[in-house]
Amino acid sequence: MEEIRIGVYICWCGTNISRMVDVEDVARELSEMPGVVISKDYKYMCSDPGQALIIKDIKEHKLNRVVVSACSPRIHELTFRKALENAGLNPYMFQMANIREQVSWVHDDREKATKKAKALVAAAINRVKWHESLDKRTVSINPSTLVIGGGIAGITAALELADTGSPVYLIEKTTELGGNMAKIDLTFPYLNSARQIIQEKIERTEHHPNIHIFKNTVVDEIFGYIGNFNSIIGQNGSEIDLKFGNIVVATGLKPFDPSGLENYGYGKFPDVITSLEFEKKLLSGNILTNEGKDPENVVIIHCVGSRNRSEHEYCSRTCCMTALKYANQLRSAIPDANIYQAYADMRAFGKGCEELYTSTSRKGIMFLMFDQQNDLPVIKKAEPGDSCNMLIEMNEKLSGEKIEIPADMVILMVGLEAHEDAKKISHTVGISLDGNSFFMEKHPKLDPVATTTSGVYVVGNCQAPKDIPDTITQAKAATARIMGTIKQGEVEVEVITAVVNEDICCGCQTCIQVCPYTAITYDVVKGVSVVNEAICKGCGTCGSACPTGAIRSRHFTDNQILSQIKGLLSKSLELKEV
Amino acid sequence: MSYEPTIIAFLCNWCSYTGADLAGTSRMKYASNINIIRVMCSGRIEPLFVLTAFREGADGVLICGCHPGDCHYHEGNYKCLRRYYFLKKYLTQMGMNTERMRLEWVSASEGKQFAELADDFTEKVRNLGPCKIKEAAETLT
Amino acid sequence: MIQRVNTDLKKDLLKLGVKDWNECFHCGNCTAICPLSENELLFPRKVIRQAQMGLETSLQANVSPWMCYYCGECSDTCPRDANPGELMMSLRRYLTSIYDWTGLSRLFYTNKYMEFAAIIGLAIIVILLFAIWGPPLDPSLTSEGGVKINSFAPIKWIELGDWSMAVVVGALLISNILHMFYKVIIKPGVKIPLTTYITELWKLPTHFATQAKFRKCDAKGKFYWGAHWLMMTGYTVMFTMIVVFLPEFQVEKVNDWWHWQRLLGYYSTFGLLFGLIFVIIGRIKQNNQIFKFSHLSDWLFIIMLFLTTISGIMLHLFRVGGMPYATYYTYIAHIAILIPMICIEVPFSKWSHLAYRPFAIYFAALKKEAKELEYKTNLSPEAA
Repeated sequence: MEEIRIGVYICWCGTNISRMVDVEDVARELSEMPGVVISKDYKYMCSDPGQALIIKDIKEHKLNRVVVSACSPRIHELTFRKALENAGLNPYMFQMANIREQVSWVHDDREKATKKAKALVAAAINRVKWHESLDKRTVSINPSTLVIGGGIAGITAALELADTGSPVYLIEKTTELGGNMAKIDLTFPYLNSARQIIQEKIERTEHHPNIHIFKNTVVDEIFGYIGNFNSIIGQNGSEIDLKFGNIVVATGLKPFDPSGLENYGYGKFPDVITSLEFEKKLLSGNILTNEGKDPENVVIIHCVGSRNRSEHEYCSRTCCMTALKYANQLRSAIPDANIYQAYADMRAFGKGCEELYTSTSRKGIMFLMFDQQNDLPVIKKAEPGDSCNMLIEMNEKLSGEKIEIPADMVILMVGLEAHEDAKKISHTVGISLDGNSFFMEKHPKLDPVATTTSGVYVVGNCQAPKDIPDTITQAKAATARIMGTIKQGEVEVEVITAVVNEDICCGCQTCIQVCPYTAITYDVVKGVSVVNEAICKGCGTCGSACPTGAIRSRHFTDNQILSQIKGLLSKSLELKEV
Repeated sequence: MSYEPTIIAFLCNWCSYTGADLAGTSRMKYASNINIIRVMCSGRIEPLFVLTAFREGADGVLICGCHPGDCHYHEGNYKCLRRYYFLKKYLTQMGMNTERMRLEWVSASEGKQFAELADDFTEKVRNLGPCKIKEAAETLT
Repeated sequence: MIQRVNTDLKKDLLKLGVKDWNECFHCGNCTAICPLSENELLFPRKVIRQAQMGLETSLQANVSPWMCYYCGECSDTCPRDANPGELMMSLRRYLTSIYDWTGLSRLFYTNKYMEFAAIIGLAIIVILLFAIWGPPLDPSLTSEGGVKINSFAPIKWIELGDWSMAVVVGALLISNILHMFYKVIIKPGVKIPLTTYITELWKLPTHFATQAKFRKCDAKGKFYWGAHWLMMTGYTVMFTMIVVFLPEFQVEKVNDWWHWQRLLGYYSTFGLLFGLIFVIIGRIKQNNQIFKFSHLSDWLFIIMLFLTTISGIMLHLFRVGGMPYATYYTYIAHIAILIPMICIEVPFSKWSHLAYRPFAIYFAALKKEAKELEYKTNLSPEAA
């Protein structure tokens, strides 16, 4: 067996790590561990000079294993694996110790933090000794793409991909394409017609030779992995087997139902309507009350179902500007109407939005502020003598007065929330949901398009509420990524799969029972289990269940993890005694 | 000097490790006694890992996985749960306090919960005092 | 108390000279920069809000417009150019029209023809009075060489006129102040013990005489307070002399220049002229926030006071110079300007601030005391 030569690198991450961890001390102490050839610290390991340092050392000192102690492996593991590869080393001869997210950012005692960092690095050093070369595995990419959801996000993604010549399967749950955008009149902040934009896109989608649309359809199950997914879709009684290489999830969000909020009296007063119902009035060209009259007093209430602990804590991001849009449309339709905006905070980010707010606020619109957390406005029936039919009672924050506003029409700016089937979809495509049932992106900043499942992308509102430009940006970003993989024709996949040592396997078939992917079959002739590596996703459940130790989870073998535990504890206890 | 327990935490890559990362990016402070070891799925956590940790001197072992129904691999966390109960029984038979081992579900968005869990478990283990398994094993062999 | 939002109020305010009723978005910079705004009575943001929302009861009970002396810091600081300073000025017009129960104030503020008609009408009445009942003009001089002014305008008749005007104007003003008291204290239901009315009473004459608050406004050395105080004291001295000490003031004998009657007269003249010229130049040049916007009522007041002063000076010169006819005609002109000025400006228009400002300060002090008392009782063990 070749001699183990480990290079250890401790990152300062500027001051992020060095502030709380004595990195020089860590590097010095760990250099004494058996197998460690060199141990260094450096300002930014992930920078180009940082990586160059590793590559140079690998070549000069004939290193065959590398430990980098820096941030979370979820951020930079791939970066360093690439560096190892560039130096001619197998990328899996590498282990990362997370001393930023797990040490310097969460502890405030420098001495203890340094000790913990030493233990974590010692564990990584111990573990990396057991690492073995793993061969790269590539899979071919099926050029077709499955797009789930036919709103503006899905349509945009489908058209972008189809225009490059790749086939697209577009799945729409309802009978019509267009989603929420087809239900609105004008878009903010420039007050263009939403219909005009989306209608042209719907028509192009429906007649595109590369797009196959399945309306009234839901996807129940998807099998396979990046490049080679497949799904069976029920269509008019028959079943169609679709094969595709990538998945775009664009299932959108639905408007919040305000029936549960008693103070707003939705359902009780016919003239209390939701924003989407108001859009219907705008599209029909008549803004009339239930009695068929022009409303004299229109109150627009913001944040209905948003930014409140009892409904949804998040901001739905589109309602403030939509409310301003309504104020503009109302002002031009009924010039002498009294228009009130009852709001919690006016959020006017985004291009052209602050300008929309400024210009709207100069159109004689009254802005009334309420406490969205503890003191919501209450809609009451007006007294018999009043000229209006409703009164809105609220504690107005800017004046500090308890007031009532006469109203003939109340528009509730309902927020956006996840569809009921979000969880089901997340399981079907194998991605995670966050606390609000929005689909989780791979990284909130560095990769807001991909997901933790290779080949699955999230676009549009289903990832988080956003306006149309942001949705289109995300849809186009996802399609660019997909086209990249299609152009390459194949993609590298994780090689962290399970493998059976046929000499030890006793054929008990326990592993077959625990595998969630039916990736293991029983070879009757040999009397052993066989893992299909194309299907195996490397969870390691079989490895833990195997009574004889015949199954090894690559890169998470028993030896690797046990030595990591031992390394960690021996260092930790050694330091404790000091 | 007061007793500082050493705790090994096994975290699944998709939910709990990401949740711990979130605690870090959110700069939530928690006890430095928690040492994290990453596995791909809580279903990968073998009883042997936990026992080895105790044998090598850990005072407590924390196991975290995705919430039921949220497993990245569909059902690994259920396998983990079953092993956990089994292991608990085994630890009892060995005469160990089962409170030294704990299983909790931590999702990727629960950074705060992870930090609170870390503090809470550390405090509990601290109250239990040092684990003597390593000493005992060394005298026996 | 729940108040109904009334956006129709904005129409009213627009008529009274408010420009951008809805420009303000309530950042509060104006209140932060205002040298006079205090914790007990913060302004101008809050009163702007009440005006915007049409909360009439709160607005009419709010005395903060009278606390403002228009240094203009707020308008300079406003990020939206909402001119809070000018809005406060307009709200003073609004409040004046509200306190005045006769409705004439509103009429004069909103209809310039009616205002001119009232001024000219009163002037004509004065002229007719002299023309019909006035004695024949006597061109001869007294033995000492003085103009026979007391035969032309007998002291007792002029005193009678002075006092009846003072009583009418005073009665109107007092009734308006009572109305103000109702709007500020009674209607909002502020409970104030009687002793507080007495202990706080000293604030009235003090602020009338010193206008000490105005000085705080003058921090940047703009000299508004000085000019205003000279003008105010000048006029007060003159007014006291013509009403209370008329026999000593309207004399045929030309006193020596160091005689108290002449010295006081010169002081008044100097004070009025200095202040008026300062204001007129300011308003023409619009060189400061306070002078940037001039409502018709602002100009009318200044012009009439200026004409009164000028005619008074000429009257003095002609009398001292022994020119009987010039003296008599100037006398009539002087009275014909003075009477409409006092009768219109003091109870119904801009000059009413001489009473409303000190009373506003008095009422504000009462409200503050009431609030402290309420606070104390609510915190006391019995209340708990």
